[in-house]
Amino acid sequence: MRQDAPADSGSSDTSKLLLPAPQSASTMRRRTLWGVLVLLVAGLLAIVVWLAGIYEANQVQARLERDVAEAVGDVRAFFEHNAQGLQALQHADPTPNSWVIDASAFVREHREILRVEWRDSSLRLQAHADTPFRAPAFEHQGRREVPSEVAVACANARRFSGPAYASSYFVSMADGLGQEVMEFCLPLQNGTKLAGYLIASYALRDVLESALTRPMTRNYQISFTEGDGTRLAVFGSSRRGSRVFTARQLMDLPGTTLVLRMDSWRAAPDLFPNVLTALLTAMSIALVAVLGLLGEDMRRRFRAEHELADVLAFRKAMEDSLVTGLRARDLQGRTTYVNPAFCQMVGFTADELLGAGTPAPYWPPESGEEYRQRQLVRHTGNAPPREGYESVFMRKDGSRFPVLIIEAPLINAQGVQTGWMSALLDISEQRRVEELSRAGLERLQATARLATVGEMASLLSHELNQPLAAISGYATGSLNLLRSEPQDGAAIAAELGVALQRIAEQSQRAGKVIKSVHDYVRRRDQVREAVAPQALLDAILPLVHLQARQLSVRVQTEVEAGTPSVQCDRTMVEQVLLNLARNGMQAMDSPKIPERSLLIRVRALQTNGSSKKRVEFSVADQGEGISPEVQQQLFKPFFTTKPEGMGLGLSLCRTVVEQHGGSLEFAANSPRGTVFTFALPAAEVA
Amino acid sequence: MEPVIDARVFVVDDDASVREALAWLLRSRRLHSEAFESAPAFQQQIEGAAGAPPEQACCLLLDVRMPGMSGLALFDWLIERELHRAIPVIFLTGHGDVPMAVEAVKRGAFDFCEKPFSGNALVDRVEQALALSALLLQARRQAARVRVRQAELTERERDVMRLVVGGLPNKLIADRLNISIRTVEVHRSRVFDKMEVKSAVELANLLRDDPS
Repeated sequence: MRQDAPADSGSSDTSKLLLPAPQSASTMRRRTLWGVLVLLVAGLLAIVVWLAGIYEANQVQARLERDVAEAVGDVRAFFEHNAQGLQALQHADPTPNSWVIDASAFVREHREILRVEWRDSSLRLQAHADTPFRAPAFEHQGRREVPSEVAVACANARRFSGPAYASSYFVSMADGLGQEVMEFCLPLQNGTKLAGYLIASYALRDVLESALTRPMTRNYQISFTEGDGTRLAVFGSSRRGSRVFTARQLMDLPGTTLVLRMDSWRAAPDLFPNVLTALLTAMSIALVAVLGLLGEDMRRRFRAEHELADVLAFRKAMEDSLVTGLRARDLQGRTTYVNPAFCQMVGFTADELLGAGTPAPYWPPESGEEYRQRQLVRHTGNAPPREGYESVFMRKDGSRFPVLIIEAPLINAQGVQTGWMSALLDISEQRRVEELSRAGLERLQATARLATVGEMASLLSHELNQPLAAISGYATGSLNLLRSEPQDGAAIAAELGVALQRIAEQSQRAGKVIKSVHDYVRRRDQVREAVAPQALLDAILPLVHLQARQLSVRVQTEVEAGTPSVQCDRTMVEQVLLNLARNGMQAMDSPKIPERSLLIRVRALQTNGSSKKRVEFSVADQGEGISPEVQQQLFKPFFTTKPEGMGLGLSLCRTVVEQHGGSLEFAANSPRGTVFTFALPAAEVA
Repeated sequence: MEPVIDARVFVVDDDASVREALAWLLRSRRLHSEAFESAPAFQQQIEGAAGAPPEQACCLLLDVRMPGMSGLALFDWLIERELHRAIPVIFLTGHGDVPMAVEAVKRGAFDFCEKPFSGNALVDRVEQALALSALLLQARRQAARVRVRQAELTERERDVMRLVVGGLPNKLIADRLNISIRTVEVHRSRVFDKMEVKSAVELANLLRDDPS
């Protein structure tokens, strides 16, 4: 929690602080894009709706035109039909009385005809029949004389030798209303001679009613108009509606011309004039909505990615800043992840480490097997200790260093273990400090052990200096005497004799000093005891291991079973073993040595009965061996190859071994390095 | 083969053979030496002379490492009595004592010599120390002489001498002491006689060497 909180706030902060300009620019661009998209869709929609509206209007108009043409046809046919009906009245030379009966029947069938008249060729009225459906229209004006319209119609009829019409005119009625009437004149032929006229007065409104079919009259308002648009007669429903579709069709009748006009009222155009448009619109809206959702989703995803990137960057910065090495391995032991600190620690690059299996490049070769075993144990499910364990890794240059490894199983989001995560601390510095304090302690012990030797050396140098100084004095004095100007020869000889005597005495004295040292060493013979070889090793191993860890050397000891105890000066032999072990480890302290192991081995020597049983000690290193020049001087006192060495170690070792009746030998080790070997007498079995 | 130079070389070493060898070596260069087996023995010798420096040129060959009182302790004792200049000290050291000896030289010892020494180099240094000692001895003697002569002067003669050395002419001295010029001249010639000088310049030089 504590880790996450700063991560979140940090990420949002950085995004706000670091990316203000691109953020707003991209927002602006996105908004613009969205605006354009919405505009385009709206435009498309509007165009579609508009086009659909136009299309629909055109459709309506076209139907109207068709209908009006049909209506004109109907009306024309109707007129012809009536003309034929009227013609039929004259069949079989009717008398006026019989004609009136037929004509009345005819008028009864045709309610659009107000009156039928039979006139002779001079337009004199022979007979007439009025419609029974309404009050006689012409009563009050009388039709004895020929109305002008009739005259016109008949003139036309005579001229055409066929039926003809006159222009319509308005007849006012008794009830105050009135109607438009059109006269029709049918010439009657008797052979080739004009026999008379049949005059029919049409009420134009009723013509419309009778001539046209119901559906047409129901849907449209139909009217006759004059050429200038004056409405003469109207029939059909008039509907409310804002849009009016109008179609006009000229109807040419012999003698006159009428215009048939049809009006269609439409309601205000629907927003979505038809299903297709509605569907299209709905789909467009759905499209925009989906796009919107998609955009929102994308933005959310983008934001999530951004946050993820921030968190990742934060994690990376965290990992990079760590001094703790991090390493992840999969279940097969392949390295799958390393952080920079780990790379720096071992000196390999991440590329060299990633994917590396066992043995890992940073495992010291001498420990590879041990580490593999450890890994196997780990992978069989034995969790490593929580507080970590210590191990030794190798840098790329071959140097070893101790690490503290804290390992934990790596469990993925599905809860399945995919490997191991390790945190590694380079504890060489810590180890060095420990080592220093331990080394200090050790040095103190060593100093205490060596104190007697140092004192002895100091004492010896003083004891030897005295006689040497005396000898030097006498010798120089003697020379001075001999060089001085000649005197009494006998006196000088006496003086010189005294001096030489003294010189001899002092030489003997110096010899005595040396002998006393020898005696001291010899006295150590008295302290020889029987010691088990393992006890000797146990005594020095703590000190050896201390240095071994420092130099990354693996120390092995082998004590052959049944090896007898040895008769020796325990302290001295321990010193010899310690000395040889140290020399061996120091010989391997070079980056060039990959395999650093030191083998201390003890075994009983096969004896051939006569000689005493002996126990052989050998110390084998894997170092660079000893060059021939060095070999010659190896045991010389004060010869050393170490900068801080005194050159007494091996020479003392040899002295000690020789005092024990053995000899210190060395040989080349296989495949490399050196083996130092010495044998000590086995203790007498009591 | 008798020492001809009037000088004393003191040798303090606990080792008799070294003492003898050194004595023999010094004798071969005609130097007289006196050996002491320990530091206290040498102290007795000095105190026997009431703490005064010897009346000959001398030097001390001192072993650093001795049982009981060490060479360094003896050197400190000499410094306390301001005798370390009158008796130049050459330390004889073993290998391990060199830093100690160097420290001693810094504190006023004449030199040190490592044992076993190459004989004549040591004797050469001894002779140089003796020469230094002789110079110091001479200066000391001169000063002593001046003091003795000054002691012979009367009160009035001493006053006149102080003013003469101060560079005043006789007339001014007479005024200053309220005596006659003639008296001043008499005192002045007496002072010159007693101080065994011939001029005022000589007198001033003599007194400058020993300002006491």
